[in-house]
Amino acid sequence: MNRLWTVLSGLGFAVAAMMPWVTFALNDGNYPAKSTLQFFDAPFLLTGFRLHLLVIGLLVVLFTFLPLPGRPRILRAAGWAGGLISLVNGAYITFKGGGLGAITAADGKVAFAAFVGVAAGALLIWSGAKAAPGIEFSWPERPSRWLAYLALLVSFAGLLLFVAAILTSGGGITNPYSAGQFMSFLAMAAGLIAALGATGVLRWIGELSEQHRYFSLLVMLGCALGLPFTSAGNEYWMTVAVNIGVYAATAIGLNIVVGLAGLLDLGYVAFMGIGAFVAANLSGAAAAAFDIHLPFIFAAIAAALVAGVFGAIVGSPTLRVRGDYLAIVTMAFGEIFVRSSQNNIGGLTGGSNAIPGIPPLELFGTGFQESISIGGYKLAGGVLYYVLIVLLVALVMGVFANLKDSRIGRAWIAIREDEDAARAMGIQTGRAKILAFLIGATLAGLAGAVFAHKTSSVSYESFRFTESVTLLAAVILGGMGTIPGAVLGASLLFVLPETLREFQDYRLMLFGLALVLIMRFRPQGLVADRHRRAELTTVDDPVEVAAR
Amino acid sequence: MAAYLEQLVNGLVLGSIIGLIALGYTMVYGVIQLINFAHGEVFMVGAYASLACYLWILPPDLAGTWYIALPAMILFGSLVAALLAIAMERFAYRPLRGAPRLAPLITALGVSVFLQEVVRLFFPDAKQAKPYPTPFIEGGITVHLGDGQFTIAYIRILLVVVAIGLAALLQLYISRSRMGRAMRAIANDPDTARLMGINPDRIIVWTFVIGAVLAGVAGVFYGGYQNTINTDMGFQNGIFAFTAAVLGGIGSIRGAVVGAMIIGVVKTIAGQLPFLGGTQYDYVWIFVVLIFMLVFRPQGFFGETERVRA
Repeated sequence: MNRLWTVLSGLGFAVAAMMPWVTFALNDGNYPAKSTLQFFDAPFLLTGFRLHLLVIGLLVVLFTFLPLPGRPRILRAAGWAGGLISLVNGAYITFKGGGLGAITAADGKVAFAAFVGVAAGALLIWSGAKAAPGIEFSWPERPSRWLAYLALLVSFAGLLLFVAAILTSGGGITNPYSAGQFMSFLAMAAGLIAALGATGVLRWIGELSEQHRYFSLLVMLGCALGLPFTSAGNEYWMTVAVNIGVYAATAIGLNIVVGLAGLLDLGYVAFMGIGAFVAANLSGAAAAAFDIHLPFIFAAIAAALVAGVFGAIVGSPTLRVRGDYLAIVTMAFGEIFVRSSQNNIGGLTGGSNAIPGIPPLELFGTGFQESISIGGYKLAGGVLYYVLIVLLVALVMGVFANLKDSRIGRAWIAIREDEDAARAMGIQTGRAKILAFLIGATLAGLAGAVFAHKTSSVSYESFRFTESVTLLAAVILGGMGTIPGAVLGASLLFVLPETLREFQDYRLMLFGLALVLIMRFRPQGLVADRHRRAELTTVDDPVEVAAR
Repeated sequence: MAAYLEQLVNGLVLGSIIGLIALGYTMVYGVIQLINFAHGEVFMVGAYASLACYLWILPPDLAGTWYIALPAMILFGSLVAALLAIAMERFAYRPLRGAPRLAPLITALGVSVFLQEVVRLFFPDAKQAKPYPTPFIEGGITVHLGDGQFTIAYIRILLVVVAIGLAALLQLYISRSRMGRAMRAIANDPDTARLMGINPDRIIVWTFVIGAVLAGVAGVFYGGYQNTINTDMGFQNGIFAFTAAVLGGIGSIRGAVVGAMIIGVVKTIAGQLPFLGGTQYDYVWIFVVLIFMLVFRPQGFFGETERVRA
């Protein structure tokens, strides 16, 4: 009986996908304007979300009869994905396009196809939960080396293509419907990830990459460097990717301070600003305070050092101030930085004029902003910046991973869990905390130096409190204390505004709401750290403990 | 000389605004140890609500009469602020009670950003600063001093009187009333207080409401003497107010008022002194004072020695 419902909902998805055609037939070839998003680029083709919907529908029918591990969860994931795709498209066209008519005459105002899709999704979520569990299946725990390598290669290459597809799914900034298409693609992607998670393959890959750490790091690096060769390899996405990389590196630095050492820093972006201003002043920009042009590597080192020194200074109150008070002190430092740079302190920051005209980086006479060709394959402009930022993020990740498992990293975690106990165990808490600030700030300064050269103009406006909150949100959303978390969080928070330009005005509002909701429903973030999870979901109430 | 005296008076006026906001911070922190970052936004919303009352609710022929307009605006602003605070406590903070301390702080940040953006996006024309009426007798007292002179507007005098009066009332309420005693009990030891038959949820909501009402009053006066309001006002003054609360010793009513006066005077006097950087750097000095205070006397002027909290 249950199978009937799941099959029905699968067919529902397929019907929803095909409905626009029916409309076409009913209206004698007159297609109601704005019937579907795809109408504009491909009225007769089954592409984009309609293809996804159809594929999901057919797969659901197939999965109903196919023995699969974790079938109920897969079916529910499919239900969510299909339902959300329909919801996004229905809502989007209804509000933006003036009416979605799939199976109506003339100027259809009702999103029938979307209704069918949403209903099918709801039905599938409900019935999928009760589907008979599939077969028991366990992934090999210690597969042979070559099998593991192959699995890792395939999965990381898949991840690369997946990322590229997500980035380009909106069709670029010229597409007026990019936000809608992007969101429906995202729904599809989320469903896919959830379904894969249900089969246990994601965890398996995760364990494999733990076992073959260096190999998977190498593959990951290679995949990251492969992005320019995919569909996302144009100048626009390279620029976005570089920005994401800068903020990801900064977020990892912040993750040391907040995630590992548990010191809430609300003025962290100031360190990135300091790094950017130092690099700007040392790189021969016209408005720079010093008339010298250091090679990038030295300017970057200087930026990192100066930011690190400021980090130690800002961190010094941690010797006496704890918790909430520390958050306020760091915010005060951040505000002092913004005010000072706004007023062009010492002629170093350009004030409201910013420091423009920072020369782009060069290597062997090739500007980093130019496009290059490798073996006849022409790559988009800005690829070299992308390569640089990938290497920088890799470096920062390496620093973070090594620190986390080192003596000082364990000291930080101990301080985060209980400072007094840590001190009683012989940890020099003051030194460790200042070191956290120093290292975090150094990394941010380094990222700031790249930022200065990439954007070619540095202004105090890039380093305001909002940016600090955004970075903090990235760390929290991704999951405190984890590397993938920080990168994922930074990517989400800086890709979404790019692809959802139409909602740009609402960006900050949604941010605020997201912070509240995350803290309420998933305080450990998307990628949870083991320690953190234990800490953040502590249940003290004995009744609740007993109930578990 | 007159210029400095004028700035001193301005500082006390600014301090009164900040003090009214700081009372909300200090009470909430005193009772549940939460830095309610969004409290500055409550103040901002109060100001916008009172403006809405003036523009759209008050009949135009009454809006010019200050003894009708001012109470009406204060009432409406405070009411909206109080409702907002209740909603905030219920939906954002209460679910997190007992969570690790970082969680509610981040939530508070989120609420703050959210509210600021909601007002900016949905209040008509709120993307620029909005003009605000002066809901009180125009003009003021002119003070002559040596060869200089300056004018203190009546609304500023009223503001200082109201602020200090409300703070005194609050002090009395906390120390004498049944509700005040319950608040102190919750602050002291929530579990024991609960055993004594106190309903913590009710007390905490009430604490938020009192703070919000004071912030609403502050919002009306702020608009009245600045003549413009913008959506940033909550964040900026909220920070000042929190600084004031810390300076005076968090949890102490007297401390909040004294701290606020100090902040106000520091800001205006620093703005007057060229060697401190003038008005461009007046904010910076407030934060410098805050940092030094936190580092060398974190319990503030009137605070008890800091308890070590797990």
